[in-house]
Amino acid sequence: MTEILVLAEHRRGEFRDVTFEMLTKGRELSQKIDADLTAVLLGHNVKEFAKKLADHAKKVLTVDDARLEDFNAEAYQKVLSHLISERKPLLTLIGHTSFGVDLAPSLATELNVPLATDCINVDFEEKKPIVVRQVYGGKVNVKASLHTSESYIVTLRPATFEVQEVEPLGGEIIEIPSPLKEDIPYKKFVEYYEPPAGEVDITAANILVSVGRGIKDTENMPIVEKLAGALGGALACSRPIVDKGWLPSDRQVGTSGKTVKPKLYLAVGISGAFQHVSGMKNSDLIIAINKDSKAPIFRAADYGVVEDLFKVVPTLTNKILEEKKSSS
Amino acid sequence: MTNEEFAAIKKLNFNMCMQCGECTGSCPISPKSQLNPRRHMLETAYLVSPLTMRPPLKIYERNEIWDCTTCSTCSYLCPREVKPLDIIIGLRGLLVEQGRIPSTLGDALEGVYKYGNPWGLSRSKRSDWAQDLKVKYVSEGEKADLLYFVGCAASYDSRAQEVARAIVKNFNALDIDFSILGNKETCCGNEIYSLGEKGLFEELVQKNLDLLDRYGVQKIVTTSPHCFHAFKNRYGRELPVKHYTQYFANLIDEGKLKLSGKIEKAVTYQDPCFLGKHNDIYDEPRKIIESIPSVRFVELSRSRKRSVCCEGGGGRMWHDIPGERLAEGRIREALDVGAEIIVVACPFCLLTFDDAIKTTGNEEKIQVKDIMELVAEAL
Amino acid sequence: MDTIVCVKHVPETAEAEIAVDSSGKGIKTEDLVFDINEWDDYAIEEAVLMKEKLGGSVTVITMGPEDADKTLRKCLAKGADKAIRLTDKAFERSDAYATAKILHKAIKDLPFNLILTGTQASDDGYAQVGVILAELLGIPHATMVKKIESKEEFVRVNRELEGGLEQVMEVKLPAMLAVQTGINEPRYVSIMGIRKAREKELKVLGLGDLGLKEEEVGESGSWITMEEMFIPPVEKEAEILTGGPDEIAAKIVETLKARGLV
Repeated sequence: MTEILVLAEHRRGEFRDVTFEMLTKGRELSQKIDADLTAVLLGHNVKEFAKKLADHAKKVLTVDDARLEDFNAEAYQKVLSHLISERKPLLTLIGHTSFGVDLAPSLATELNVPLATDCINVDFEEKKPIVVRQVYGGKVNVKASLHTSESYIVTLRPATFEVQEVEPLGGEIIEIPSPLKEDIPYKKFVEYYEPPAGEVDITAANILVSVGRGIKDTENMPIVEKLAGALGGALACSRPIVDKGWLPSDRQVGTSGKTVKPKLYLAVGISGAFQHVSGMKNSDLIIAINKDSKAPIFRAADYGVVEDLFKVVPTLTNKILEEKKSSS
Repeated sequence: MTNEEFAAIKKLNFNMCMQCGECTGSCPISPKSQLNPRRHMLETAYLVSPLTMRPPLKIYERNEIWDCTTCSTCSYLCPREVKPLDIIIGLRGLLVEQGRIPSTLGDALEGVYKYGNPWGLSRSKRSDWAQDLKVKYVSEGEKADLLYFVGCAASYDSRAQEVARAIVKNFNALDIDFSILGNKETCCGNEIYSLGEKGLFEELVQKNLDLLDRYGVQKIVTTSPHCFHAFKNRYGRELPVKHYTQYFANLIDEGKLKLSGKIEKAVTYQDPCFLGKHNDIYDEPRKIIESIPSVRFVELSRSRKRSVCCEGGGGRMWHDIPGERLAEGRIREALDVGAEIIVVACPFCLLTFDDAIKTTGNEEKIQVKDIMELVAEAL
Repeated sequence: MDTIVCVKHVPETAEAEIAVDSSGKGIKTEDLVFDINEWDDYAIEEAVLMKEKLGGSVTVITMGPEDADKTLRKCLAKGADKAIRLTDKAFERSDAYATAKILHKAIKDLPFNLILTGTQASDDGYAQVGVILAELLGIPHATMVKKIESKEEFVRVNRELEGGLEQVMEVKLPAMLAVQTGINEPRYVSIMGIRKAREKELKVLGLGDLGLKEEEVGESGSWITMEEMFIPPVEKEAEILTGGPDEIAAKIVETLKARGLV
């Protein structure tokens, strides 16, 4: 039977969302080419995890080994190359995440299996995968085919495929003895490092709520702090806020502050002086709230709201919290 | 220090310095920065001193060297004509060669190198501001008698573009035949020179001279005093360049420009450093402003040679430092003399004041306008 | 520490308007400015910083046409000692796999402790070349590296994970590290510096010099074949959201949801 493998990604005892995005896409593909959808779970003491995956896949292969507890590309590669060599799946899906980027290329090289990375779509044309990728920073799309092979590996861009809830499939959980015989000599996982609280690195944040002069008073700062909290983002600002001492200087975006490229930049009460815009214009998505319709920030933004921030922001914060509650 | 650096420093004229401190005392930036021209002069002198007892040179640790706005107050006040500004630019040059330059300034230089403007914006968008205006672009084989050199700020910044548009309207209203370089225009290099990037400045000089020759340019009028200064004093060749204030003041003298529209406002004027202190042009801008009927012209308490820099020069458009901006103080001075409009003749002054009016919360009380905008209103 | 840095000369497209060329498999590059790939700029800087601290040498290597010498010269001006450019008609249309094979042939007999490259290139965005190269060389690797500490036998690195978290790993030397932007602050190189770097060695090697066969490189030696390039439908810029606060908030949430941001 033709098989599609999906590598489940988890971190510190939680599945990463990309796992279910890949399972959704994998299910669609398996139906199209009449293949089995199999989830692969590598880890340590992950029995409970396997059950959740069984809702989404026909089979769940688990390999339990202390050396697989935290992601280590060397250990993962050894186990996966063993599994893929044995089972010869037509397609293996891996997330194009920090883990996937570290794993997929060397795995494909070892197996001599064609690989396409960071795909925003994958389809089959006569059992051969056709992928869509973005190039030139998302300005151009490429449709590409993989060279004919028995097996293929594709990494999928996270947050691209919407997860569809399905009737639990009640998949079979198959425990596979760990193929790791000797030590993992080259790479050692040491620890996770979380930048200490208070020491926020706005350049590393995926979501930034940035506040400007429009906030008017330090007493109003909780309004934007709450919005940042609801979004799970960090709070940044334009220069006047730092000048006034309302936020420390490491939160400042712009030529005299940091250059940021978050996935979302939500500018609140920022007019968008060129000094500021040059520090954030390359953000993936820019939403600006400012009551001045002529504020230059609207030329940098993808979406604009011409309205009093004091009216919009609290409403927005509540809507986001509601949304998060209902989806969890 | 390499021999080359040693030689470069030795060429700088610091021997006449008597450490009087006039330079540091008059520097508008030194109150909020470690910038201290007198100390830099001393350290530079020590650097190449034949004495063995040299204090360690700290220039490489002196990031404040980038705080200078190149307003040149130090240089014209120096009783021994030492020109501390040249020393500062020379020291910057040493740092640039080592790659020791604040990253935002490095980005500005890269932007000029790659795209011909310090904002690193696309060359193909340089003349977008002129799309709906009547302008003639230079073309091969046709002589451009009068070239309007727009400059980077007026080409790319949305507020400064309004000045370029006003200039074009004024030219057209007076039936003056002129051309622009369009997307072929490239940075004049004034700020590049001021940042000490000699190699890049040389390339820009070559590019611009080639352009002027190729299109047979007879006269140049610039938006910015910075471009004017570069062409006039830094290109090593005498170029027929005028700042627009000179050009339009001359039209008034010749009776070709008569301003009839009424602007019943109290107006003051900021002398741009690169027009005033650097080039002694004080009367022409005032002549234009005062020729507008009903304008009530008031001088700032510190004007002409005593005027205070807006803090936009010397690369400072891309390098911000903490503390109150000079432009903010200038806005307060303008309000003190009862001005409703502060008039400028430089795109950098326009942008720094535009921001300072907002940061000081004076949007309701005062506006900033370029002289060319006033003229367009009064024509 | 002897370091080899793999760099790429790429068109800058962030500000530019992009059009697909007549072949349908490439973009028009006449009006584009080419420069070192942003990620690789951090890689060369990291190598030079290590050299300044620990001694050793830095060799910079690229695959590309003559114009790519500009990027190599820039790297030499930043502090690299030697440069190698790999070029051949047969190398055209190589994907990440074929590119890594070409680099492998050029690097395998060079002495090195460390190979550095950027995590990805801003043009094709594969994020593969360094890792495939490491596998071909039989050395360990780490990607998305935000911090490197050199020890005697190994390097301790911080890998960037999603959500601001980092993973600390120890990787035995020799190793390949693919660095993430922000690991350092790339220095400016002056025009004078670039002019002076012309005196440094820049070697050019082709298919035959590397002992490669034509079928091993280019499209035939690749894993993937480009079928078609197209401009995706662009969303309108600065779309103004209207309505009452409730309506506006709902529209924003919808937008964020569509992008997986809530």
